[in-house]
Amino acid sequence: MSDPHILIVDDEPSLLAVLEPVIGAAGYRVTTAIDARGALAALAHVPPDLILLDLGLPDLDGKALLAQIRRTSALPVIVISARHQESEKIAALDGGADDYVDKPFEIGELMARVRAALRRRAQVEAKVSVYRAGELTIDLGARLVTLGSEKVRLSPKEFSLLTALAASAGQVVTHRKLLLAGWGAETADTQYLRVYIGLLRQKIEADPSDPRLLLSEPGVGYRLSAG
Amino acid sequence: MTVPARLFAVSDLRFRLSGAQLLLTLAILGLSFVVAFGANDLLGEVGSALVLVLGIMLAGATSGLAAAILAAFAAFLLYNFYLAEPVLTFRLATGRDIAPLVAFNLCALMAGILAGRLRNRAESIRDSNRRLASLLAVSEALQGAASLDDIERALSAIAAEQLTVRLALHRWRAGESDCTLTRAVCGGGASPLRSSDAIAYRLDGGDGPIGALVFQDLPASREEEDFLTALANVTALALARVALAGQIAESRAAARTEELKTALFSSISHDFRTPLTAISASASSLIAYRAQLDEETSQHLLRSIVDECDRLNRFTANLLEISRLQAGQMPVARQVLGVDEMIGAAVQQVRPRAGSRRFLRGAAAPDLQVAADAALFELVLVNVLENAIRYSADGSTISIAAQPAPDGCRIAIEDEGLGIPGQDLERVFDRFYRVPRAEASPQGSGLGLAIAKGFVEALGGSIRAESPARDGQGTRILIHLPLVEAATR
Repeated sequence: MSDPHILIVDDEPSLLAVLEPVIGAAGYRVTTAIDARGALAALAHVPPDLILLDLGLPDLDGKALLAQIRRTSALPVIVISARHQESEKIAALDGGADDYVDKPFEIGELMARVRAALRRRAQVEAKVSVYRAGELTIDLGARLVTLGSEKVRLSPKEFSLLTALAASAGQVVTHRKLLLAGWGAETADTQYLRVYIGLLRQKIEADPSDPRLLLSEPGVGYRLSAG
Repeated sequence: MTVPARLFAVSDLRFRLSGAQLLLTLAILGLSFVVAFGANDLLGEVGSALVLVLGIMLAGATSGLAAAILAAFAAFLLYNFYLAEPVLTFRLATGRDIAPLVAFNLCALMAGILAGRLRNRAESIRDSNRRLASLLAVSEALQGAASLDDIERALSAIAAEQLTVRLALHRWRAGESDCTLTRAVCGGGASPLRSSDAIAYRLDGGDGPIGALVFQDLPASREEEDFLTALANVTALALARVALAGQIAESRAAARTEELKTALFSSISHDFRTPLTAISASASSLIAYRAQLDEETSQHLLRSIVDECDRLNRFTANLLEISRLQAGQMPVARQVLGVDEMIGAAVQQVRPRAGSRRFLRGAAAPDLQVAADAALFELVLVNVLENAIRYSADGSTISIAAQPAPDGCRIAIEDEGLGIPGQDLERVFDRFYRVPRAEASPQGSGLGLAIAKGFVEALGGSIRAESPARDGQGTRILIHLPLVEAATR
């Protein structure tokens, strides 16, 4: 299998000049584009395995480009953006982004997200239905959750939420998506969600007050650690 | 004749009689007496008396109650003296003669009163119609007022045309007024408040008193007082409306300032995070992948850290400028500025970054002045000039011309650079918008023109781009600012 191919779309030449050799040195093939037009051309030329997408592009809003990509492709897309507003992140995630990284970032954080997204993709393609992180094992097919050797008893709602988080393990899942998974309605109160996440932490975390597996992304959603 | 009706010129008591009415009454009385006297032989005493009664009624109908009573009294005397037996005395011959005389007098008086009252009613209706009409005119004049000055003008016109008393409008601001009566009436006293020679009406706004309308003489009648009360009410409404309009304008200005601030903060965070991202990515890469990175790449990363630190430093300097500008000066402090002088200062400021580009100044316009904040105005010009420098070739010419425009001053800054595609002419003023170009072309922060637009609009002007400027190339930025008189009005 050849090295994974990553397309970086960012209008900052200085950042591209840093990311290109570094991500290349980390064992990936890298293509860059400085605007939406270049990104679409690169996509048509050699489809990458993952896209790192900046939201502030000169010719088209990053969210609009994302929508355009999503019409034809289910490629993993990680948004990198200097916009720290929660609403922007949520809009991008709900618009089909797999994850996001805030600027400025450390390269280790970015690469961890890249690996998580690529692994998720591989698991989806291989129809892997078992998730593992530390002591925790979630067998989606058998609807079985175990912590070490002990079976964890979950209510149906808790199980739905954990399933939704495990299906995007390592990536953020928005409140909206979790509400849809647990209650079937995105309009349900996020307060319920908080309560159920608390219950889940009681059952799967070694120390529920210092969660290591089920992490909060304040204002955006929750993330199940990629293990 | 259209002499302006003095509504309250005379007492409103209806026992009034003008000279013309008195003459008319006397004429009617004389005529009816002549007829009655002449026809006495033919009609007899009773017939003559009826002719006189007719005359009294006519006098009452034409000249009002006072005329009727006057006519009735005069007719009684005339009848008694000339017609009733014994003639030419006020004595009465027999008890029998008294009866018709009493009946006649009662008839005459009643008829006169009725006719007069009718006449008075008609007159009072006409008066009240006239009052209504003038109140309507007053109300229209006041409601059409757009400013405090307009209201004061309308009030003095009303005072001149319709009132016998002089009036003055006093504002009540923050519990202060230079007028004693206003202080009393707005400070919780009853309204209207009378002194020996003036009357003050409190003008109530939405939250408490906003002023007082003071009349320098006391009203001459109840109707006039009613009119003054109505005038005070209408004035209060007009004042409240003008105050509200002012508040709306203020809150719009505040919203615009707020937008500008948001734009600024958002720009700042973008300008800081961009170099920070490159620095952080470079440094963390050197830590995490040192072993995998070749010497050249490591050097490149270190170089980029230094370059981006430089960039960060420049942004910090700019930021300091902007915050100095912002400190307490938004909304903008305006002063009268010579346009030529400002252009000169801005060119001076950008020259170090202009390379070998030439600056071509248009014809001098020494009289051209705008009302603006000096720092803002200079920043606008500098931003536009820097934009022209960034997107034009070294050695090309940048021309700057200022000239009077119909309602302000027009400044045109023109470069010989790449130009802006038609579909981007509006968007170049959007924050972070940069016309898409080949990779090698220079990159600005995408903020210069957005900030220029924000500031020009804060100064009450407008800015737009034209491209190509001439010969199929270049960009012309046109700034329109109101002239001094227009801006300070």
